[in-house]
Amino acid sequence: MRFIHIADVHLGAEPDAGPLYSGRRAQELWDTFEYVIRVCEEEQADLLLIAGDLFHRQPLLRELKEVDHLFSTLSHTKVVLVAGNHDYIRRDSYYRTFQWSGNVCPLFGETAEYIDLPELRTAVYGLSYHRREIREPLYDRLAAGGVEPVEILVAHGGDEKHIPMDIRKLSAAGFDYIALGHIHKPQAVEKNRIIYAGALEPVDRNDTGPHGYIRGEITPQGVRTQWIPCACREYIHLDLAVDRTDTETSIREKTRKIISENGNENIYKITLKGKRDADISFNTKRIADVGNILEVIDETSPAYDMRRLYEDNRDNLLGQYIRCFDGCAEGSVEYEALCEGVDAILGSR
Amino acid sequence: MVITELYIKNFGKFKEQYIYLKDGIQVISGENEFGKSTIHAFIRAMLFGLERGRGRAAAKDVFSRYEPWENPGYYAGAMRFSCGGRNFRLERNFARAVRSVSLVCEDDGEELSVEQGDLDMLLGGMSQGLFDSTVSVGQLQAEPGQELYETLENRAANYFESGSGEIDIASAMQSLREKQRNTEKAIREEEAKQETEREKLRSECMYLERDMQALQSEYDEKQMQLEELRSREDSASGKEYADEEWRVSYRGEDQPEEESAVSGKGLIRMGIVGGLAGAAGFLWSFFLSRTGQPVSSTPFAVIAAVISVAGIVLLLAGIVLHVRERRRERPGVQERSSKQEWNSMQERPGVQGQDGQGAARDAQRRLQGELDHIRSVWKEKEIRCGNLKEQSEDYEISETRKMLLRKQKALILAEETLKKAAREMGDQTARLMNRRASEIFADITGGAYQLLRIDADRHLSVWDGVRSIPAERLSRGTIEQIYMAVRLAAADVLLEEPMPVILDDVFAFYDDKRLEAALKWLSGQGKQVIIFTCHKREEEIVKRVVYS
Repeated sequence: MRFIHIADVHLGAEPDAGPLYSGRRAQELWDTFEYVIRVCEEEQADLLLIAGDLFHRQPLLRELKEVDHLFSTLSHTKVVLVAGNHDYIRRDSYYRTFQWSGNVCPLFGETAEYIDLPELRTAVYGLSYHRREIREPLYDRLAAGGVEPVEILVAHGGDEKHIPMDIRKLSAAGFDYIALGHIHKPQAVEKNRIIYAGALEPVDRNDTGPHGYIRGEITPQGVRTQWIPCACREYIHLDLAVDRTDTETSIREKTRKIISENGNENIYKITLKGKRDADISFNTKRIADVGNILEVIDETSPAYDMRRLYEDNRDNLLGQYIRCFDGCAEGSVEYEALCEGVDAILGSR
Repeated sequence: MVITELYIKNFGKFKEQYIYLKDGIQVISGENEFGKSTIHAFIRAMLFGLERGRGRAAAKDVFSRYEPWENPGYYAGAMRFSCGGRNFRLERNFARAVRSVSLVCEDDGEELSVEQGDLDMLLGGMSQGLFDSTVSVGQLQAEPGQELYETLENRAANYFESGSGEIDIASAMQSLREKQRNTEKAIREEEAKQETEREKLRSECMYLERDMQALQSEYDEKQMQLEELRSREDSASGKEYADEEWRVSYRGEDQPEEESAVSGKGLIRMGIVGGLAGAAGFLWSFFLSRTGQPVSSTPFAVIAAVISVAGIVLLLAGIVLHVRERRRERPGVQERSSKQEWNSMQERPGVQGQDGQGAARDAQRRLQGELDHIRSVWKEKEIRCGNLKEQSEDYEISETRKMLLRKQKALILAEETLKKAAREMGDQTARLMNRRASEIFADITGGAYQLLRIDADRHLSVWDGVRSIPAERLSRGTIEQIYMAVRLAAADVLLEEPMPVILDDVFAFYDDKRLEAALKWLSGQGKQVIIFTCHKREEEIVKRVVYS
């Protein structure tokens, strides 16, 4: 039995993807989803598991029709989906009334239910969110029912507000495979068995790193899974080391260079770190111009030699001022205040 | 600095007047209206220039007061002084049209530039305000001015400064505040940017809501048309249908299934019973005919047939009703929207085209179709609107804004700490000031008071060995002496270059003993002291004490 497991597709989201790509980012989420459907068809996968948050918010009818049309193109694959906290089944949700294609098996119950797929000798268990937050550990008391030789759980959540999970209990519940969703970073909770597929495409600026889907096979020998990256962009957070020889122009050049090294198609957040020349200040907006950059954060501090300044000014106000901040750590608000004050005092001379 | 010669070309009442001064203490005495204050004003004007004020105030300012009565276009003078072992000649023309100033070092003939700050350098950066607050004491102006205390605070900041330029607390504070203002502005801009995005969402929502309202009224209108069509048809086609229609359309709202007069399941049950009875009747009539009973089997067969037909009809009706009920019960089909009217309208099943009753039925069906369509468009918009509202609530504080908020915090902390540090430094300077002022005051009063104290709020008090006495409770003369001590102590602490002390009729309240002590003290300071007075006793004491 071969399956593909995706989660957190967030169709309908309009993620901030920097000045160059934000406009078409919403469409890219659809494109990648369509790509996965094509993969299912090409590989003739038996099962497509969608572990919640297929939609970013309440799905519109036309969006459901689009999705169902894509599902209907699958000649062999059965689709099992649950609703997550983002596309939870509200009272007026179209999820309640929508007529899906024959190969689609939604597990939309508020409590756990299962779908029996005898032709695959597989049963898939799951439940759906009917409210935005569920603090009860609903999965903890769940156990495989032994309906079919292969039993799979599709689950969404895992943090405090979204069905907290006890991994040991889950692991002992008797499922052959647990397809998890909700946490956007792909990760195996238990190798080959309990896996967060991660968001299919990154949707938030903090969804850094590559994203994709899980391809797996369940045989009598066991489960083998493989994580396959397929997202068309990544969010990349980069630290740029600044020293006292740098100027705004040199930082712009460096930024341009690391962006081309890391791929111009990606979305960047650049943090300037280190000591800059005390006479120089950076215009972060101008630095952000050089590529597809969401934000440039300037965490540099002026390269004052505080110890020396203090020794030289022990008896005047500057020394007294530096003494007031004795022992504060670099990078703290206090250190920033120290630098600002030293800057103002030196500037008044 | 020692002033050696004043040449008053034309200033106030003086014309072409030379006054020669020497180092050390000297008394210039003269009667009232001799022009003592004019000479004092002339020295100030030479050192710091004389600007004409603007507007109405100009009529009473120093410039106007000393503007020569005759020949006002010729308003000038010169001054010779020595400073740092070199001799200088300073010339000024105050007249508006020909204002000029020149400074020449008479040792090597070098031309210096007052505009470039050469004179300021010779004065050790002393401003006119500080001059007036310390060494230059005018008539009835003994109390030191605001400038003295401000300069003291800056002096505190630079205490033991090692020559790499002076710290100016006020300008450091100002630069911090300016940065705070800029940061605040940037924060507001960042907020405004997010607000614009949110505003965009809100306006889209508004459009959607307007559309929804339009749809609603369109729906109501069509609904009324439909009702009208229905009632017209009902009255035409008789009561039977209308009743049935009424029941179907309102069942399920709040009427429990059990209460309905005829339920689908009941009909099915009756149908089955009827069918079975009919079949049994047939069997019996068949049995009767075979056994050749005299009683004719035909009526039995007819009755059985009727019963079974009735049973089948009931059965069919039951199935139809049951299926309808089932459809109603199935979750998902039935909507529970907030608006009841939307509910009821969807529940009314599309009027089935029962054997095509012509145009009226078609119109009804078309209307119903339109209503369904409007409803689905409305709902799509409602969901979209809800999603947008959610999105506008989702906005998080951007990282740029977080950094700016942090910077704002740091700047506020920097300002507070700078104030604190300055206060602490000020305490040190205040101690130094207090010590120096106490020494001077003790000398002038012949040791009557050992301590003179200036507290943080600039209150003056003295210590007579037993108790602390606020200055204002002391005699006029003693107060004047306190002011003198404070001024001269400040001059010691603040002025880099020893400046001539100019005392214009300040000893009027001194008794002879204190005056003698004060003059003695002044003569021992190695400074040029110029005393203007209208009394003879200063000159006598100086002659007796200093030159004896």
